[in-house]
Amino acid sequence: MMAADLVQAWTDEQLKTEEVPKKELIKFIQDNGAHSFLAEHKLLGNIKNVAKTAKKEQLIEAYNQLFESKRFKGTEVEVVTEEVQAVKIHDNPKEIKTELVDEGPPKFTKSILKKGDKTNFPKKGDTVSCWYSGTLEDGTVFDTNIPASAKKKKQSKPLSFKVGLGRVIRGWDEGVLTMSKGETARLEIESDWAYGRKGVPDSKIPPNAKLIFEVELVAID
Amino acid sequence: MALEQLSDVVQRCQAIKDESYSSQDYDLFLAAGRTCIEQGDSAQVLSILVDEKNKSIVRCMGWNLLGPLVQMLLKKEDKNLPHCHAILSHLLEVCSPKELLVGLLEQVEEADSASIAETLTLLLKPLQTVLLRLGMKKASSVGMALSTLLSQVARLPVPVTKEQEEDDVFGLCCCCTALLQFVKPFVEEIKEIVKDNNRISKDNELRVELLKFCMKSLSEPLLEVQLKDPDTLQKSPLRDFATEILMILSNIGESLPDLLSRNVLKRREVPGFLEEEVRYPKESLACMCHLLFVNHIAVDIFPAVLSSVFVLQCNMEYIELLLSRTEGSRLQKGLELYEKSLVRVEDNSLPVDLLELKTFFSVPQNLVKVLTLCPDQTLRTKGLKVFQLSIDKFSTEAKYKFFRGMLKTSHHAGVEGYIIKNIKNQIDFSLKPCNGNEWFLGKHLLPLLRLVLCLPHGPETDLLQNLDRIMESLNLLRYMLIRDKEWENETGIWTELYKIEDHYLKPMRTGLNMSKAHYEAELKSMKANKKITSKDSQASVCTLTVDNEKLPDMTPEMQIQVLQSALFTFDLIESVLARIEEIIEAKERPLS
Repeated sequence: MMAADLVQAWTDEQLKTEEVPKKELIKFIQDNGAHSFLAEHKLLGNIKNVAKTAKKEQLIEAYNQLFESKRFKGTEVEVVTEEVQAVKIHDNPKEIKTELVDEGPPKFTKSILKKGDKTNFPKKGDTVSCWYSGTLEDGTVFDTNIPASAKKKKQSKPLSFKVGLGRVIRGWDEGVLTMSKGETARLEIESDWAYGRKGVPDSKIPPNAKLIFEVELVAID
Repeated sequence: MALEQLSDVVQRCQAIKDESYSSQDYDLFLAAGRTCIEQGDSAQVLSILVDEKNKSIVRCMGWNLLGPLVQMLLKKEDKNLPHCHAILSHLLEVCSPKELLVGLLEQVEEADSASIAETLTLLLKPLQTVLLRLGMKKASSVGMALSTLLSQVARLPVPVTKEQEEDDVFGLCCCCTALLQFVKPFVEEIKEIVKDNNRISKDNELRVELLKFCMKSLSEPLLEVQLKDPDTLQKSPLRDFATEILMILSNIGESLPDLLSRNVLKRREVPGFLEEEVRYPKESLACMCHLLFVNHIAVDIFPAVLSSVFVLQCNMEYIELLLSRTEGSRLQKGLELYEKSLVRVEDNSLPVDLLELKTFFSVPQNLVKVLTLCPDQTLRTKGLKVFQLSIDKFSTEAKYKFFRGMLKTSHHAGVEGYIIKNIKNQIDFSLKPCNGNEWFLGKHLLPLLRLVLCLPHGPETDLLQNLDRIMESLNLLRYMLIRDKEWENETGIWTELYKIEDHYLKPMRTGLNMSKAHYEAELKSMKANKKITSKDSQASVCTLTVDNEKLPDMTPEMQIQVLQSALFTFDLIESVLARIEEIIEAKERPLS
């Protein structure tokens, strides 16, 4: 059993010196201490954050306490808090705004074909109107709302949608937010921010397709 | 004789000024005119009607002849046809459009089911002519006409196979095609307004009537129709009809993506709010989405930039509607739409907050009803496939919440068993390296397991009725005890074990022993009774009547069979239970 096998890795002397940095000590305690022990000693969570708030002396004390009380992982019945709520059924349909987590560098590139007014930029939730055409890397046009003749363009309407709310592919949401009114841009969107591994079945968009759009932002409301 | 009467009344009326004809004049004209036409004297009637001197009379009274005229035309007797057609053309030119409209629509409404297609084919062009004569005031009349026409078309049987669509015996395809031609000039008129003004008022009357027409068509007949894809049926009038309806919607200024997301986006209380609801019936929109996403109709006028999760979210509203019905055709379409929407989304990607939306819980509930109650096996099979697909798309946290919800609300052993099997798969997945998560391991797993490893009525739980659920949960427990080593205890099962023994295994053992003893005793007494063919074995405890027919009593042999199969089932439960008890016995008890 782990409790019987666990031996103190450091002596008191070693602990007090720089030999054992705070973060390493925290990691050891987090790896081996029972959940409730960690909670009591305020040692739960991101190591960096714990290191900021806890002093070295506190950590040494906790370390020693751990071996005294033997409250290691798996030795006690974890007190489980019923954090998971009961199932609620709401009557009113709500809109889900998918919170976009910062996952790293943007997965699209933009080149400006025609400058906009550089003053009016859309915010999340604004309604934008765009003319656009979309092609695959091999040049296949899979979608456009620009009619063939100028005359017909008068009869058609640009695509209107609320930007930044996850209603369109991410490349569009992020890309259009960087455009100003009147701007025409070329957006090259990697598949992760387009239709990903699935593509759109039964359509011209295959799996893992990089999509290239020419977008003209005509209006922001 | 009738011809003379007609000539008489017409001559008399020529003298009357200001068109102040008496009702008697009208009656005489109608009676005589009708008889002449029915008798086949259409040529003479024609000459009377086209006579300049009779212009006023014809303008006032002529439209009343529509009835008998149309009946003659439908009879298709060659020698009369050209004259009857000529009469009709003349009347259409001369009589008041409003009155003609009433007369023609009356004929449409009165058509019996056998002659709907013919009547429509005959009258659509005349109707169109009359409506165009109404000029700027035509909107409400167009609406009335379209509504009457569609009501008749809705009565026609819908072809099911591709051969039936090709043969079009009842004329639905023919009528749909003709309707498109009928509606064309009105759509063009709206397009012109859009072109000239760059927009059109949402309340433009003619536009609203065309919108109503499209919405009604989507409901009847299109929701009933099973479209064939181009590989199966190259030329399909019904597919063309569907395509054109969506094109018309787009041409009159309706944005298809906006229609898709109508029921999902927050609606503010606007004046005329209720009218908005009426203008866009949910059932029609459901049909539209099915056409777009399953049949790929008009997909080139639908933007390909919407996010797949958003599309799913929108479609859930319509899937919920379709799956709440009982007709097989609606359920089939609901399942297809659900499947096509799910397939676009990556596995493990749907976030947990989606479960806060009403539809993400009500749709699975509806689906469970299909799985457990629908008499059609193909639907149940497809339903199960789609059910598993929907589970696969949820993120880990969402799966957790979903399973918990289903266990609490489904009250059906088969469904619970299926969910428990999914839970086992998730635990198995989580135990693999790099798959660890806090939902199927760690602190959240135990509350979920408590919902799984429980007997709703303690030792008195009916083991047979709950068999599916019990077998899956015992299998789950056995799996966990073998897979999760005691010294690793990644799932926490070992620390929880003593509770499980008290609340689950012990009552199960008790219940099992009791049930076995009871059934064994029953079996013994049945077998004993069988040897003595006494009246006691004949007296049944209850009778069962289905559909006014009393079912035959179970024979003693059948009763014995049932008891024996129950005992086999208990053996089955016993085998897993024993194995679990063995595993527990074999390990050291954990420190508590």
